[in-house]
Amino acid sequence: MSLCMKPDISVSFLNKTMSSPLVLASGVLGLTADSMKRVLEAGAGAVTTKSFSMDPRKGHPCPSILPYDGGLLNAVGLSNPGVAEMNKEIRKLQTQHNGLIFASVFGRTPEEFGSAAASAAESEPDLIEVNVSCPNVESEFGTPFGASFRDVEKITTIVKKAAGSIPVSIKLTIHCPSISKMARVCEESGADAVTAINTVGPGMLVDTGVMKPVLANKVGGVSGPAIFPLALKAVWEITGTVRLPVIATGGVTTTDHALQMIMAGAALVSIGSAVYYEELDVFSKINKGLTDWMTERKIGNLQEIRGKAHE
Amino acid sequence: MSDKMKTYPVVDVKTHHPEMKSYYFRQIEEQILPGQFFNLWLPGVDEKPFSVSDVYQGIMEITIKAVGPFTRAFMNVKRGDRIGIRGPFGRGFTMHQHSLLIGGGMGIVPLRYLARNLREKGFHFEVILGGRTEKDIPFTTEFSEWAPTTLVTEDGSLGYLGLVTQHIHEIIGRSKLSHIYSSGPEGMLVRVMEEASGRGLDYEISFERYMKCGIGICGQCVVDGSGIRLCKEGPVLNREEAEKVTEWGMVHRDGAGRRERED
Repeated sequence: MSLCMKPDISVSFLNKTMSSPLVLASGVLGLTADSMKRVLEAGAGAVTTKSFSMDPRKGHPCPSILPYDGGLLNAVGLSNPGVAEMNKEIRKLQTQHNGLIFASVFGRTPEEFGSAAASAAESEPDLIEVNVSCPNVESEFGTPFGASFRDVEKITTIVKKAAGSIPVSIKLTIHCPSISKMARVCEESGADAVTAINTVGPGMLVDTGVMKPVLANKVGGVSGPAIFPLALKAVWEITGTVRLPVIATGGVTTTDHALQMIMAGAALVSIGSAVYYEELDVFSKINKGLTDWMTERKIGNLQEIRGKAHE
Repeated sequence: MSDKMKTYPVVDVKTHHPEMKSYYFRQIEEQILPGQFFNLWLPGVDEKPFSVSDVYQGIMEITIKAVGPFTRAFMNVKRGDRIGIRGPFGRGFTMHQHSLLIGGGMGIVPLRYLARNLREKGFHFEVILGGRTEKDIPFTTEFSEWAPTTLVTEDGSLGYLGLVTQHIHEIIGRSKLSHIYSSGPEGMLVRVMEEASGRGLDYEISFERYMKCGIGICGQCVVDGSGIRLCKEGPVLNREEAEKVTEWGMVHRDGAGRRERED
């Protein structure tokens, strides 16, 4: 690149252009159009809705989200007002901002995943993200769908068919026999991308005053800086195994974290818990951090460093 | 600010009447602004946000009325019981001279601590408080001692018969007040906003929405029209902020995030 040229942090993802590789992760500020619009205005290239199901869900009582020393613990219990409401919010947001919108969906059965995806496709989001890996909700066999190759294969196939022309990303968990093999299953079942990783655990905290678990659900998914190395390794392993683009998420809080994810091969980098640590400024801070780093290293485009940690 | 969960013993309980009690705790943070709130966890039940009714001589007071399952369960809390407390959260009221405090029902609670702060600064203020009956208006004694106070009840059991909003006009006109603070049922707040805007007065209003995390990440309390997170940028909004919001008096969201019509 010529010295006077400003580095370009825009990225191409599934044939669409994003102004930044940063994505708002599912579960944070993703309930309404106005909430997500604010995050796009803060510098995210895309936003992911909170996970929606066909029917409304009340979720767990509170406390349902708690900070601890290394991150956040949450057992919101997938509360949501139903996909029909999500579609209204997505339609509204599309008229207000041209940032990308990823719709996160889940179901209690593979068939419900299919109907939620079919319904979500009606609002034409840029991507449907399939939450097969929330640690707070289990399949009828008592394990998250994301732990079983057969369940993930089945759900991916059903959702891909239901989503029609809308691309599909499967959100994976590290709590499975092999996350790279799981990504391979997604690829072979027709997924367009994978998102890695969901929260880890579940974990728990006890209040020593009353000697009881503090989350109403007792246990909850662990996120935040503590899980970054786990997420990075998962992304690195997946991108070394499949050709699918990876939306990397898990504890990304700083520019350095985002760079590490891209060097491990991530197409996009999602940010969730860091909104707690760094406020909404986290998006503009990391955008600027990436630009500054690229300027210093004379790198014109993020494609130049993507996957470098594999070489 | 303490975001993490920690339990503290209740140091005292005051019964206003069987369905309204004040709970006292050691002051857990140096600076607590009027209008800010704490999330209170009743172990085994739930966690809900409550604004501070007073901070005085190292003790903070939270006043609760039994209106739902959580607050009814709270009425059984005794001195020595441990309650989880996180906070203080959100933005509180700022201090202004020559103000009118307009409170309705349990919305009166944060105004009580505000009144203490205004009084300590030596600022002039007046107060108008309303409730369904005499029992629904807390802290009438303190308010009446501290400032000219007008009381209004819907059944006429205390003060004037009627609604608070029928008297605001006259008080503002008579006393040349320039700033309004308000907290209470949303129908009342909407009328207060209209009245203040009509007169070109600045105001700060404490709003209420279903909250979960208290730390600005879950998105549950984001209000339409603005993207304002009420737990973080609120619960007290000034005129410029409040006027951006399009849902006041019309809709709010339940625990699932469903929009419900405002009563």
